[in-house]
Order: sequence, then structure tokens, then C-alpha cells
Amino acid sequence: MEERLYDLIFICRPATPEEDINKIVATLEHSATEHGGKVEKTEKWGTRRLAYRVEKHREGFFVYMVVRSTQGDIIKELERRLKVSDVVIKYQTIRLDEELKRQQKLVHHRERRASHRPRKQAPPAPQQQVPSTPAEQTAAG
Amino acid sequence: MSDQPTQVPPAAPEATPAPSTPHAEGHSSGGASRREGSSGGGGGQRREGGSGGPGGPGGPGGPRRGGKRQFFRKKKVCRFCVERVDFIDYKKVEMLQPFLQERGKILPRRMTGTCSRHQRWLGEAIKRARNIALLPFATEL
Repeated sequence: MEERLYDLIFICRPATPEEDINKIVATLEHSATEHGGKVEKTEKWGTRRLAYRVEKHREGFFVYMVVRSTQGDIIKELERRLKVSDVVIKYQTIRLDEELKRQQKLVHHRERRASHRPRKQAPPAPQQQVPSTPAEQTAAG
Repeated sequence: MSDQPTQVPPAAPEATPAPSTPHAEGHSSGGASRREGSSGGGGGQRREGGSGGPGGPGGPGGPRRGGKRQFFRKKKVCRFCVERVDFIDYKKVEMLQPFLQERGKILPRRMTGTCSRHQRWLGEAIKRARNIALLPFATEL
């Protein structure tokens, strides 16, 4: 199976001490490497306001991770761990590699088109003439 | 200014039988300012409020008022196409925010001028952001 890229975001309770969050991140990284994957990036966004209430919290501590793996099972395991954890109130995993592939394809396509037929210098756009209305018309009444 | 007041009365009774009288009156009262405002989002809203048919800018009862009816609508351009965006990131909330209504609804294409492809990506990004509490599903009262 080819390699896949995932975005993983989870939200902790706002009152969680930093150590607990670090612990969660460490366990996630550990289980990721155990299942033949790799955590490429971990970002702590810090406490942010939630757009709606989640488990009666209005704020949450966001952690963002990028996971790369050839095994799809890794996500199952990571999500199981997040679900079990009491501190985590919300999580979301998104597979991104296909979209990135699409993006690269578009960029490639554009570059090829640009190199194949160099665009002629477009003539200066004709000045848009605003249809002038008789402004003298007085508003009756 | 130079128009004689006697010119106005013949036009007004002519307009009374038509159902579009309140429309025309509203137009004449704030004619100039409306026209200027129509280049932005206001144009779309106005259209929705009125007949909004596919008849175009001319609308019903156009010829009576002559040039006054034909207001100039600026062509909306897809903001993402201009900036050559190949991937709309759901994590950049401030980028998605302008495409939401106050209550959290996604703005339709006819308001923002986004092309169909980018609107599709945008909707996906907004829905992802909603799922992880970055954007609201609906704002509370």
C-alpha cells in the first residue's frame, strides 16, 4: 500500500496540565511507530475558543499532528487511544494525500501549459465604460 | 435640475397600474448610491429580494425609465482562481470566515462569485472545520 498522509487534530479540556498533553502526544507517537507509521509534525495551538460547546466546554487546547503511514490500521489505533482518554473531548483525522496529489497535478499541469505555449501579451484591456446615466434627472417628490 | 416639474406627472400615473411602482420609487429615491453599491455583495442581495429571475439586469419594466434601469453590474471573479489556490486548507479559519453568513451558513456562489470547483473545495473545507469546532454549525442567539 502506498504511503498515506493524515491530519490529526484533537482537543483537550482547557484545564488540562501541560504534562498530560505531552503524555498523550508521546503515547500517540509511540503507538504510531509501533504500527509502522511516523508522526511527522506536532503542533500545539494552545487554548482556543471553540465555535460551539463541546462537553460543556467553550474553550479547548488544540493539538495538531501530521501522521504518515502505509498502514491504515494506525488510524484505528490512534483514534481508539484518543477515545479512551478522558482529557480529550474531540478529535478528527483527515486523509490528505489524495488532495495533495491533486494539488501537485494541478500545479504540474499549469507549469506545462505555461512552458508549452507562452502566452501572448494580452492587449491592454479596454477601459470599461461606465454607462453614464443622466444624473440630472431629479427625484420627483 | 433643469427639468421642468411638469414633465414628471405624466410619468407617474403611467407607472401606477404596474405592480413595480414601489420598486421604481425606491429606485429613484436613492438611485445614485444604489448603483455604486451594486458592484459589491449588495447587488446580489438586491437581486434576491426582487424578482430575481433569469431575465438579467434589465428586469421587468425596463424600457420606461430608459438608462436609469440598466445598472452596471461588475462581473464577480472567483477569489481563489485569481490567487491560484489549489488547495483550501480547513485549518485557516480566517480564510474561510468571509464565506460564511453571520449565522454560520455557507454563502452561495451567486453572492461570492466563487467558481464551481472552488466552491466545492470550500464547502468541504468549511465542513471539516465545523467538525473540529473551528467554525460553528450555527451560532447561538
